[in-house]
Amino acid sequence: MKTRGYVSNRIKEPVSTVAFKTVSAIIAFLAGVICVLPFVMITSGAFSDNRTILTEGYGLLPKNFTLDAFKTIFRSPKDIIQAYLMTIYYTVVGTSLGLFSITLCAYVISRNDFRYRNKVSFLIYFTSIFGGGIIPWYLMYANVLGLKGSTIAIWFPALMTPFHIILMRTFIKGSVPDAITESAKIDGAGHLTIFFRIVLPVLGPGLATVGLFLALGYWNDWYRSSMFSINSNTWELQFYLYNLLNATQAMKQMAQQSGMQLADLPTESVKMAMAVVATGPVLLFYPFVQRYFVTGITIGAVKG
Amino acid sequence: MKSNMLNLSPRKPGEKRGSEGCKMNPALWIALVSSIITLILSLPFIKWIEIINSEALYKSFKLLPSSIEKLAPKYNIYNILSFVYETRQGSIGLYAMLLLLLTAATLYMHGLFIFRIFKKKKFTPGNISVYFGAKCAAVFTFVLSLGTIGYIPFSNSRFKMAGFALSPVVYIILLLSIISYIAIKIADVKERKYYREPGFFTEFRRNWILFLMLLPTFIFFMINAYLPMIGVYFGFTAFNFRDGLWASPFVGFKNFEHLFKADLFKLTRNTILYNLVFIGVGNVLQVIFAIFVSHITVRWLKRVSQTLMFMPYFVSFVILKVLVYNLFQYETGSINSLLVSLGMERIDFYNTPAYWPFLITLFYLWKNLGYGMVVYLATITGISDEYYEAAKIDGANIFQQIRYITLPHVKPTFIILLLYALGSIMKGQFELFYQLVGTNGLLYNITDIFDTYVYRISTTQPLNIGIGTAAGLYQAIFGFVTIMVTNYFVKKRNEDFALF
Repeated sequence: MKTRGYVSNRIKEPVSTVAFKTVSAIIAFLAGVICVLPFVMITSGAFSDNRTILTEGYGLLPKNFTLDAFKTIFRSPKDIIQAYLMTIYYTVVGTSLGLFSITLCAYVISRNDFRYRNKVSFLIYFTSIFGGGIIPWYLMYANVLGLKGSTIAIWFPALMTPFHIILMRTFIKGSVPDAITESAKIDGAGHLTIFFRIVLPVLGPGLATVGLFLALGYWNDWYRSSMFSINSNTWELQFYLYNLLNATQAMKQMAQQSGMQLADLPTESVKMAMAVVATGPVLLFYPFVQRYFVTGITIGAVKG
Repeated sequence: MKSNMLNLSPRKPGEKRGSEGCKMNPALWIALVSSIITLILSLPFIKWIEIINSEALYKSFKLLPSSIEKLAPKYNIYNILSFVYETRQGSIGLYAMLLLLLTAATLYMHGLFIFRIFKKKKFTPGNISVYFGAKCAAVFTFVLSLGTIGYIPFSNSRFKMAGFALSPVVYIILLLSIISYIAIKIADVKERKYYREPGFFTEFRRNWILFLMLLPTFIFFMINAYLPMIGVYFGFTAFNFRDGLWASPFVGFKNFEHLFKADLFKLTRNTILYNLVFIGVGNVLQVIFAIFVSHITVRWLKRVSQTLMFMPYFVSFVILKVLVYNLFQYETGSINSLLVSLGMERIDFYNTPAYWPFLITLFYLWKNLGYGMVVYLATITGISDEYYEAAKIDGANIFQQIRYITLPHVKPTFIILLLYALGSIMKGQFELFYQLVGTNGLLYNITDIFDTYVYRISTTQPLNIGIGTAAGLYQAIFGFVTIMVTNYFVKKRNEDFALF
């Protein structure tokens, strides 16, 4: 409607309006390009010849286009495949369990006939305004529960956040009118029936939004690996990448596994190629799922 | 617009709401009297714990005579921690600390109960809210006195001798709490039946499935948030490997003093300043770009530019590290290679702190521009076209339209987002700072925030756990107070903008 309105009025629009619209289009587009530029640079670094990078530095476009870096990575893909599999595992387990607990909790605090909904909401919200700090949190998992090195310590701490619960509650409130649950209750439906047969079927967009938020968080996490992993078998993908950037040790190991001399290893372009490999899936899915994030952020920011 | 963070739903209309003051009855008198006696008995000059057999006890601590002089033969509930402090016996420190916290909570509960008796306005029918206050006070007193009683065998077994004894005062308090609880409970049950207000157990029996549904949440937040809060105790100890986490000597506020002398000011300054810049510049830029994008008339261009700006939000912070490496590396970085090709000198970014505040801000904006813009764009799209049509007919140009229609409509969202952000002003953008600066010690002075400081301690300096925990606690309390104060003033001015 809006666009059509503008079109029909275009003739009457003064020069200043047209000029402003043109300028804003140009600026916004340029800003968008600047935002993506870094990805272009990383990608072109990945496709550049390593020796050229060492002498001339990184640039905007690939220098002496080559696939060497990717060939090196995939010559002995054991480590990276392990990291990929672990990350997929964390993402799947964490997202499904998290979504399950979040939805249950959100359903309960969305019920008007649950007397303690406000108290429960406050107890959940309180954790986001006060906490014991990282060290007690770390010691809780590592010493008290003895989960250091376990994969549980990597997916468990990110299962749910107050933000996600409140977001989900807003979705439930928005998609299931109180009158429907009321009448179901009068017809003799218990909470389980209401939850599984009335609330869940219409909660698709909410589940997708919160689930995608969770999945993105798991995919991009490196922090919990740095805290709790004791051997590289349990590393998350991003932490693997982080390590590759940080330590020459990781490079040496890579050279050994692929049977190359460290000097022959395209160290610079490999780093960029790893970044491409680690981020690829996210950027690939991004255009299709973007709208869910937009919904989530809008609802979360204004109503949450 | 509904903006209340918790969205606490109001009571249903027609719900009974008592407005007359509290009617006294025998149960309340019993509770009131026992409350007052408890308060009197917990005055500082009444001693709850005695040190018997002190010579043998102090010998087993290997104390110097000079510090023995500072020890008293009897302790009240408030200064039992000073005993732990003077004798440097950490193994009973946490227990003593929990007792102290419990005491504070108990006193608060008693105060609240007495206050409720004299308060005019009530939100529940009859005396139910007053009874609830009395029950809380009684339960806390009960736990406190049981805890104090348990403290004696606990500490005696820790030191393997009968060194501590209990004054009978504690038993009196225990008895009083039981009596007042029973009296109140009887009156409460009667009153709830009369007003048909179910108690917790009725509610539990009726809706046990809802409680079951909350079980995963309960377990998660206990493990992830509430139980670790006990660990702030480490902030008051000097950790060493020989005694272990729980038995390391209790040092009171020494860690905080140490922090205060060394890094506290710097950390607070950095954390707050960076956040202020992030919030201010970030929100303003997001509004500006939302206005730009909303004025693009070509459909696909609008979508493309929004998509591109939103993209950095989706990549991990490790990619930031790759990026910084790609751009600023001394030998191979893009910027330096550009400078060289233009015939200029290379810049040594990694060793020049002056650049980093700008770089960090720049990367923050890069990563978050799209996120905030989405919110503002939704607000702008929601403005009715009629306003603009009317303005056009009245001859307003595009800038006047933005100034007098768009901006006033964006203002509420702007304020809400600003307030939310102010609430987390003490929370640093840990991943951003850590991935950009990493372990580059040269830059710490200007880029170190609480989160990076604590992380560094927890991963590389286990002996400083006490100091790290203290820093984290200071950060948490500072942040909590900021939120509370902000929320208080906001609520006073405009209820709609309050966080909770």
